Amino acid sequence: MKAVGARLPRYDGVAHVTGRSVFVDDVRIPGTLVAKALRSPHHSARITRLDTSTAERLRGVRAVVTYADVPLNVYGHLEALGIPADEPLLAEDDVGYRGQPIAAVAAEDADTALEAVDAIEVEYEERTPFFDMRKALDPDAPKFHQWGLVYPHFGSYNHRRVRRGDVDWAFEKADVIVSGVYRPQAIEQCPLETQVAVAVPDPDGRLTIYSCTQAMYFSMGVVAAHLQVPLNRLKFVGGTVGGGFGGKVDSASDTICALLAQKSRRPVKWRWTREEELLVSSTRAAWHVEIEDAVSGDGWILGRRTLTLHDAGAYARFSPYGVTKHAFHHTGAYTIPNLRFDGFVVFTNRSPTSAMRGYGVTSVSMAVELHMTRVADVLGMNPWEVRLKNANRIGDTTANRVVMQDPSTVPVTLAAAERVGEQLGQEYVAMTRDRRSGDLLPAHLVAQQAPEGAHVLEDEGGAA
Amino acid sequence: MAKHSGRGFSTIEYPTGMNQNGDPSQAWIKLKPDGRVDVFAGTVDIGQGSRTVHTQIVADTLGVPYDWVTMDNSNTDSSAVCTGTFASRGTFIGGNAVRFAAERVRERILDVASKELEIDAGDLEITDGEVVARGAPDRRISVADVAGAATYNYGELISGQGTALKPYAEVDDGDGRVQAEPHSAVSYAACVADLEVDDETGEVTVKRLVQVYDVGRAINPMLVEGQIEGGAIMGLGLGVLEQSYPYYPSAEHRGEQFGAYLVPAMENLPEIDNVILENPSADGPFGAKAIGEMANNAQPAAIAAAIHDAVGVWITEYPATPERVLRAMQEKREPRRDDKRVVFDEELSVRTVSSNGGAGFLDFE
Repeated sequence: MKAVGARLPRYDGVAHVTGRSVFVDDVRIPGTLVAKALRSPHHSARITRLDTSTAERLRGVRAVVTYADVPLNVYGHLEALGIPADEPLLAEDDVGYRGQPIAAVAAEDADTALEAVDAIEVEYEERTPFFDMRKALDPDAPKFHQWGLVYPHFGSYNHRRVRRGDVDWAFEKADVIVSGVYRPQAIEQCPLETQVAVAVPDPDGRLTIYSCTQAMYFSMGVVAAHLQVPLNRLKFVGGTVGGGFGGKVDSASDTICALLAQKSRRPVKWRWTREEELLVSSTRAAWHVEIEDAVSGDGWILGRRTLTLHDAGAYARFSPYGVTKHAFHHTGAYTIPNLRFDGFVVFTNRSPTSAMRGYGVTSVSMAVELHMTRVADVLGMNPWEVRLKNANRIGDTTANRVVMQDPSTVPVTLAAAERVGEQLGQEYVAMTRDRRSGDLLPAHLVAQQAPEGAHVLEDEGGAA
Repeated sequence: MAKHSGRGFSTIEYPTGMNQNGDPSQAWIKLKPDGRVDVFAGTVDIGQGSRTVHTQIVADTLGVPYDWVTMDNSNTDSSAVCTGTFASRGTFIGGNAVRFAAERVRERILDVASKELEIDAGDLEITDGEVVARGAPDRRISVADVAGAATYNYGELISGQGTALKPYAEVDDGDGRVQAEPHSAVSYAACVADLEVDDETGEVTVKRLVQVYDVGRAINPMLVEGQIEGGAIMGLGLGVLEQSYPYYPSAEHRGEQFGAYLVPAMENLPEIDNVILENPSADGPFGAKAIGEMANNAQPAAIAAAIHDAVGVWITEYPATPERVLRAMQEKREPRRDDKRVVFDEELSVRTVSSNGGAGFLDFE
C-alpha cells in the first residue's frame, strides 16, 4: 500500500488558489439571461393579490414565473423518509418568512430583471409573526403553519421519543439531580460561493443544470419532481463547489432557475447576492435543550431526562431528520441506561433551517458537554474522571439500543489529558475501551450491556 | 481590569453516514488500453478533498500507481447515484463504492493476466502496476499489457461497478428502539481549549486548542488535518462569534454582510495542536471512519467550560459574546438548590417562559 496513508496534495489545490478552478459562476453560455426573485418583505402574511402582467410586458423580460407555472409546487424533499410536503417552491396564498420567494424573473440583464421584480404587483395582509419556540403551545400563539406550530408526523406522535430503562428509579436513587438549559444558536454556513445555478435548455427541451449542489442526484430528483419530468430530461453538471458546509444539500437555486429556462427557452443564470445568502438561505437551526441528570455521589450518571426544541423556521425541510439524529445521539460519548427524551420540531417565522456541519449532533455536543462539566463541578469531582467513568465502552449500548463496536471515548480523552499534562488518578489512566467489568460494571449498567457479537440489544430485561 | 486564564475540555462522538442509512453511493471504473484507470462517481467534492481520497483508495485497491487514476465526478450522465456529500459519508460510503468497484476490476485484470501468463488467477497479485505470480516474481505482466490484451486480443472492456448501501433502519416511534445499526461507524474526538477572559470588556480570546481525533484510518493525514483545523475555526465561531440572530429569538438586526456577520478571521486563530488516533473500523475502506462534520462540534462546550474555569460563570446561550460574559459576571447567578436538586438556568426554561408552565412539552407519559 502506497497511496493510502500518504500526504498527497489535493488534486484541485493549485487550481483553487490560483483562480483557475471552474465554479458555476465561471460558466459562460452565450445568450444567458439573468434571474432575480420577488421575495416577501414580511415575516408572516397572507397574499391577497399577485399580478405579474406589467412586469411581463417590460422590454427585455423573457419570463416571469409564479406558483401557477410550477407543475408540482409543493413537494417534500424528504418524502422518501416519511416527512410530508409543506413548502411551496413559490409562495401561493401566504408567506411564512421574510425573503420567501413569490415570483422570479428572467431578463436580458440584471437591471431589467430588478425593474421587473419591482413591477410585480402584490398585496399582503400582515399577520402577527411567531418567533419564540418555547411559546409554541401557548393557547394564544399565532398558528401560521398548516400543521400548527409543532411538527406532528413522528409516526403518531408530535415529537421524537426515547424511552429506555427506568428513569423514575434513577431519579429516586440519585444523590444529586443537576438540571440546566442550553441554547445552541443559529449560524450561517458562509460559503464564499453564494447559491448559484445556470440552467441551459437544449433545442429539444432537455435541461443541463450547472449546479453548486453538494448532492447532484438528490438535487436532480428535487428538480425532476417539481417539473414533473423523468431523470433523462435533466443533466446535472457539478462536483466542484465553493464551500457548502451543509447549506447546499437542499436545493435553493436549481429549480427556479430551471423553471425560468424552460419557460424562456433560454439559458438562465441565478446567482444570489451576499445579502440573500446571509438573510434568506437556510441557517443552522437554533436549539433549546433542557437536560436533567440523575447522578450518584461518586459520579455515575444513572439516568437522564431531556427536552429538546428545534427551531425549524417556517417549513419542515430536513428538521425532523435532524431531531431524530439528535435523539439517537443525545447521550453524547457516554453510556446512560435510563432515559426519557422528547424532541420537538417547532415552526417559527424565520428562514427555514436545514443541514449544516454536524446536523442534529453539534447541538448535543454543545449542550451535553457543558452539562457534564457542570455535573462534575456540582459533585466537586474532576471533569475528566466523570467522563472516563461514564464513557462508551465496547459492548455498551446507545440510547436506541445499538451495540457499540469500536467506541473511543476513553482513548481520545486519555490522549488529550496526556497532551496537556493533566494529572489523573491511576485507575483512570489505566482505563481502556474494552468491555466493562469489575468496578466499571456497576449494577445499573449490567442490563444495558450486550452479549458479545450482537449488533443491537434485543432484550435488556428489567432495570437495575 | 485583569485577564483571567481558563481551561476547558469536551469529548464527543459523531456517526458516519445518513442517520438510519438507506443512502447509496455507486461507482464504476474502466481501464484505458494502457492500463490507466477512469473512475466515475457522483460524489461532490465540497473542498474536503474527497476526490483525492477516492483516488488513493482506488490506486491501492487495484495495486497501481496513484497517478494512473483519474476520477470524474462532474455530471449525472456519466456517474451513477451518489446520495450526496453530507452526513460525513464521503470517505466511508463513497470510498467503499469505489473500493468495491476497484475490487471487481482487479478480478477482471487477474482473469486476463491468468490467460496471458497461464497461471491460476488465485496465484497472482498486483503491485505497482504489475501482475506478479506469488513466489515466482519473474513470471509477470504489466497491467498496461493486460489492458492492451483485453482491448485488442480478447475484445473486452475491463470494467467494474460497486454500490455501498446499508439498508434503512426503522425506528420505533414510541421508545426510539432500532432493529439495526442506524450508521456505518462512529468517530470520537476530544478537545481542550485554553483561553483568556478580559473582565473589563468580557472578551474571550482562545489561545490554544488541543484536539484528538480517532478517525479509524487516515487515508490522507494532510486532508484529515485540514478538516480538523478548518472545523476548529468553525467551532470557534460557534463558541464566541457567530449568530444569525443577534437578539434571538427576535428576527431583527441580522448581519447581511461579512462586516456585520462575524466569522472567525486570521486574527482570531489560536494555536491548534492535532493528534490523530487510528483504531480501524470494521467496514470502512482501509479501516477509515468519518472526520468531516464532527470537527466543529467539540470546541464550543470546551470554550464555555474554560470561561467558567476562568471567571466562574456559565455561558449556556451560545456564542459567548462580550455582552453575555459581562452580564453573567455582573449577575453572578446561582442555581436554585432544593433538597438534592440543583437547578440551573431556570429563567431560560420552557416552564418559565411559556404562559402555561410548559404544558404539552412536559406533561405526558
